[in-house]
Amino acid sequence: MKNKKLWKYFFIIPVIIYVILLIALPLIYILIISFFQSDYYGGMISTFTLQNYIDIFDQVYINVFLKSIFVAGVTTLICILISYPFVLAISHKKPATQKILMTLVMVPFLTNSLIRMYGWLVLLRKSGVINQVLLGVGVIQEPLSLMYNMFGILIGMVYTLLPFMVLPLYSSVSTVDPQLLEAANDLGASKIKTFFKIILPQTLPGLFNGSLMVFTPALGYFFIVDILGGGKIMILGNLIKNQFLTARNWPFGAAISIVLVLITSLVIFAYRKLGGKMEDLGGA
Amino acid sequence: MRKIGKGLIFIGCMVLILFLSGCSRKEEKVLNVLNWSSYIPDSVIRDFEKETGIQVNYSTYSSNEECLAKVSSAKEGTYDLIFPSDYMIEIMISRGMLEKLDTTQLSNVGNLDSLYLHQSFDSQNQYSLPFVMASTVIAVNRDHIKDDIDSYQDLLNNDYVNNITLIDDQRIIIGMALLANGYDMNTVNEKELEVAKDWLLQLKPNIKAFDSDSPKNFLITEEADIAVLWNAEAALAYQENKNIEFIYPKEGSALSMDNFAIPKGARHMNEAYQFIDYILRADVMKEIIESYPYKNVNQATQALLDPDYLYNIASNIPSDIIEDGVYVKNIGESVKLYDKLWAEIK
Repeated sequence: MKNKKLWKYFFIIPVIIYVILLIALPLIYILIISFFQSDYYGGMISTFTLQNYIDIFDQVYINVFLKSIFVAGVTTLICILISYPFVLAISHKKPATQKILMTLVMVPFLTNSLIRMYGWLVLLRKSGVINQVLLGVGVIQEPLSLMYNMFGILIGMVYTLLPFMVLPLYSSVSTVDPQLLEAANDLGASKIKTFFKIILPQTLPGLFNGSLMVFTPALGYFFIVDILGGGKIMILGNLIKNQFLTARNWPFGAAISIVLVLITSLVIFAYRKLGGKMEDLGGA
Repeated sequence: MRKIGKGLIFIGCMVLILFLSGCSRKEEKVLNVLNWSSYIPDSVIRDFEKETGIQVNYSTYSSNEECLAKVSSAKEGTYDLIFPSDYMIEIMISRGMLEKLDTTQLSNVGNLDSLYLHQSFDSQNQYSLPFVMASTVIAVNRDHIKDDIDSYQDLLNNDYVNNITLIDDQRIIIGMALLANGYDMNTVNEKELEVAKDWLLQLKPNIKAFDSDSPKNFLITEEADIAVLWNAEAALAYQENKNIEFIYPKEGSALSMDNFAIPKGARHMNEAYQFIDYILRADVMKEIIESYPYKNVNQATQALLDPDYLYNIASNIPSDIIEDGVYVKNIGESVKLYDKLWAEIK
């Protein structure tokens, strides 16, 4: 019995060390330096100040927050709209087929996401594959502007983050009892009614989990905005990156990061207040 | 039992790998270089390794600030040779981050054109020696754009909607807006910066993209017909499309000079000197300049370069442009004014 317990710790300790070393400590470091003063040369003066947080409430930076939340929100919405039909369709397949299809969802992860963005560039640009084909067929006379605008950013975001919506949603959907769906069908509920009365309520944890996993990174994926958006829009990720790499103002960058963490925490807090369970989020 | 056996084999392999990777490094001479990305062709580094037996560990950065951050956050002695630009040299000197250079160790130092020595950021060249020079230039695809363009103001033309690419660099682009309005490129005057902001907002509908990684691609793929970019990028675009014209606007161009410098506490100084001396060799510098056609500052190399380089104003920047050009200067904490303005126009 005792031996068993020892073994348990043996396997848990690396995880604890990992979390402390690579998640907790850096976060604490970020929190601490967000109260420091910058010397504007990448260094910090360790006097306590709240100025970094006060600076965030400038209209300029609030606009960046609003823009980021808009981009992330629309991305999440599109991901939901694509993922539900996709996941529901898969869940009706044989188990073996389901496994194969879900593996295919993961395949893009084998390539670095930056390289995949450059792949999109080849597809979307003015002289790119899509425009060439459409011009060749005669559907359009002038090349379409598919990138270096909001459209390009959303394509990049949705493409990169879609699996994070599909996976939790799939886990959620597969727990829905098929007998409930049969019963609904027998009692004459329409497909739409079945979705809203049975599937949606039961997959809400998965939906929320997926939304969180899509929304949060979408606030920060600066490379997508830079490559497919032509760097014309600034989201929180760009703003934070700039503080560390061009403005040499690490404390301000840290303060924005902390606010970002707070926003995410707030969303999770709201979810719990509304009756969601934390176990559903992680366990899905 | 079987599992344990497999585990043992695995552990054995790991230990073996550890030993093998450990012993090959011992006696080797090493040089840790931190340089701009795409600045020195791989072949030059391979040849240097072959000639000297020094193993070069090469890492890169894409902005001066990134270089500063990497050098100051790493343990002293991590890097042996860096290539910061003008104002960053000034910052690094003032923060005691650089070693004084001993030019007696450099037999080829005489190859440098004295015109480019003794710049304001290091007037005695105590800490740095010039590597190459760069300048911003307007490149125009004459296949599509026929108008006369000779100033930044011309870029505001309504016909150029979504057709201009700019470098993604706040100091350079805000600096361009300041120059366009007749102000100093390094101003910290908030009123002047306000004017620059309005000018950029006016220009914004014409901007296709901000890109520093490879602005030449926009010209080559005809994604955009006008670009404000570094001269070497423009020269490389010209190799693909001979109808690209280069215009140095009358308000002046932004200049940049990249320099050899040895960070404080470098552990392989001798190797660093050997590498600098190797690059200062006329034939080696020629190879670099031919791959990345920035402005050459090496007199001995200049004699070897072919007319394609010499008569191209994008690569061989004319001297009057250099005289009228402006360097980005260190403006201390006012950098946050620029950063905020940058967030406003994006």
